[in-house]
Amino acid sequence: MSVLRNPMIEKELRQRLRERRAWVLPSLYLVLLSSVVLFTYSEASGRKAMPGAVQGADIGIGIFMALIFSQAVILLLMAPVFSAGGITIEKEQRTFASLLTTLLTPREIWLGKFVSSLLYLVLLLFCALPLLALSFAFGGVEPKEVLLATVYCILVLAAVCALGLFCSALFRRSVHSTAATYALVLVLSIVTTILFAYLQERWRREPYESGMDGVPVYVQAPLLLNPLYPLLSLTSAGGRSDFPYPLSSCLLFGAMLLLAAAFTMRILKRSGEQV
Amino acid sequence: MIEVRDLHKSYRRARGLAGFSMAVEKGEVVGLVGPNGAGKTTLIKTVATLLRADSGTVRVGDWDVAENPTMVRRMTGYLPDVAGIYQDLRIGEFLDFFAAAFHVKPSSRRAAVERALDTAGLTDRADEYVEHLSLGWKQRLQLAKTLIHEPQVLLLDEPASGLDPLARIAFRDQLKQLRAAGITILVSSHILADLADVCTRIVFISDGKEVVEHAEADSGDATVGERKFRCLIEFRENAAAGEIAKKSAGVRIVETAANRIMAEIDGDERNASLLLRALLDSGVVITHFETKNNDLEARYVRTFRRASENAPS
Repeated sequence: MSVLRNPMIEKELRQRLRERRAWVLPSLYLVLLSSVVLFTYSEASGRKAMPGAVQGADIGIGIFMALIFSQAVILLLMAPVFSAGGITIEKEQRTFASLLTTLLTPREIWLGKFVSSLLYLVLLLFCALPLLALSFAFGGVEPKEVLLATVYCILVLAAVCALGLFCSALFRRSVHSTAATYALVLVLSIVTTILFAYLQERWRREPYESGMDGVPVYVQAPLLLNPLYPLLSLTSAGGRSDFPYPLSSCLLFGAMLLLAAAFTMRILKRSGEQV
Repeated sequence: MIEVRDLHKSYRRARGLAGFSMAVEKGEVVGLVGPNGAGKTTLIKTVATLLRADSGTVRVGDWDVAENPTMVRRMTGYLPDVAGIYQDLRIGEFLDFFAAAFHVKPSSRRAAVERALDTAGLTDRADEYVEHLSLGWKQRLQLAKTLIHEPQVLLLDEPASGLDPLARIAFRDQLKQLRAAGITILVSSHILADLADVCTRIVFISDGKEVVEHAEADSGDATVGERKFRCLIEFRENAAAGEIAKKSAGVRIVETAANRIMAEIDGDERNASLLLRALLDSGVVITHFETKNNDLEARYVRTFRRASENAPS
């Protein structure tokens, strides 16, 4: 059965878009991001009065960076809510047994849940594109960077959604799977940063090492698993980024997605015991 | 149609099935009866491909449940004991989803949904949300969903629990129609009167094993159609009525009063007619005549009381 004909996708999207939060969340999300734009603009333009006035390009870059990091953080916080309940809700509503005794394969069930949770986040991401395009008005940002930021965001969110669904297949209750998914996101975001900071500090204390050009790979290695790393690579000083391995980070998130999907399908195949 | 052989299934803290075997022929309606925790749900879930047995085999039609679960799902319809429902879908959408999930071809899906709506009596309400249905209507919708891919075997786990009397009667009538259509049904229930009315055979189960029915010497086998049944006759006071009834063929008087007789009649219902005629011919004025279908209940009590007495302490 092709992806387009997968009945799970249609059902899940239908149910998701009938929830009240389907229209409340995008509104709140856009209000929040608009505030970020206004705040960044007023902060950046306020500096004009000072010597060495800020150019329009700096305002554009400021708005762009503030926006992509804000939306990445907000969507990272929302992704577990949308994905971690995907399968547990079927268990809680007692519809799981009926679902498992249809001819739908674990792959089709997973795909339906995955696409519906990711598509909603992508919808939010696309809602913010006009705001992101504001940075073009000031200059300093190229369409390629907007495209890269969007692609990075989607990939990271896809991996987090897959982790959420994995937890959802593993646990019986949504509250437990959501908590577990948040814990995983926390590990990826905070623990990797702490590890990076620790390794960087040690590296700096070694005089012959710190003289090297840029932070070495082994110091950055934990940070490659940080959901914000690919976006960090877009920050550059003088055309050279301090975080030059976005592709490696993307590959790691891609692998995470595939592994989580494979384990979820494996659990789904044997989850008759859970109903 | 369903063949279960020496099935064992245990859970971490309990035993589900302990060497259960049974065979259900095509077109049979078999009722599974037993106390809570007897293994009824485990058996039905195993046949429905949800549970993997520790040992033993289950076949549905030509297919082994463990080796060809997809083929088994194709030919079975399973209605769980507590069947959840997608409240936020419309009735038509709900049925369409399950039709697609059972790989009903897109060209015939609309017809399948319309047929299911008709079966459930919900044709005029296809655009309503499922959450607006009463419990009885939801159960009809669940049965329609279970039948949407035209299965040859139906597995029903406590299908009438929680239904009000009218909904139960309607549901029972639907099962009778399915029986008439030749669908093989394995149904578990605690409502013995419903099972007695619908099933062609009853299987008693306890502690994961089939319990051989401890029938009284005159009670016959477990086939519902050949049962004994009781008959309550009320009449204007007549001292001779009891004596007349006693002489009637196949009748045993259980309880007698000046205006009332409770008789146990051998399986053939003609004996009840003969008793009634004998009373009328003798000038007894009958005010009430009622056959009581409580034979299965009596057999249940007899079987499980004996089983618990024989159980090791």
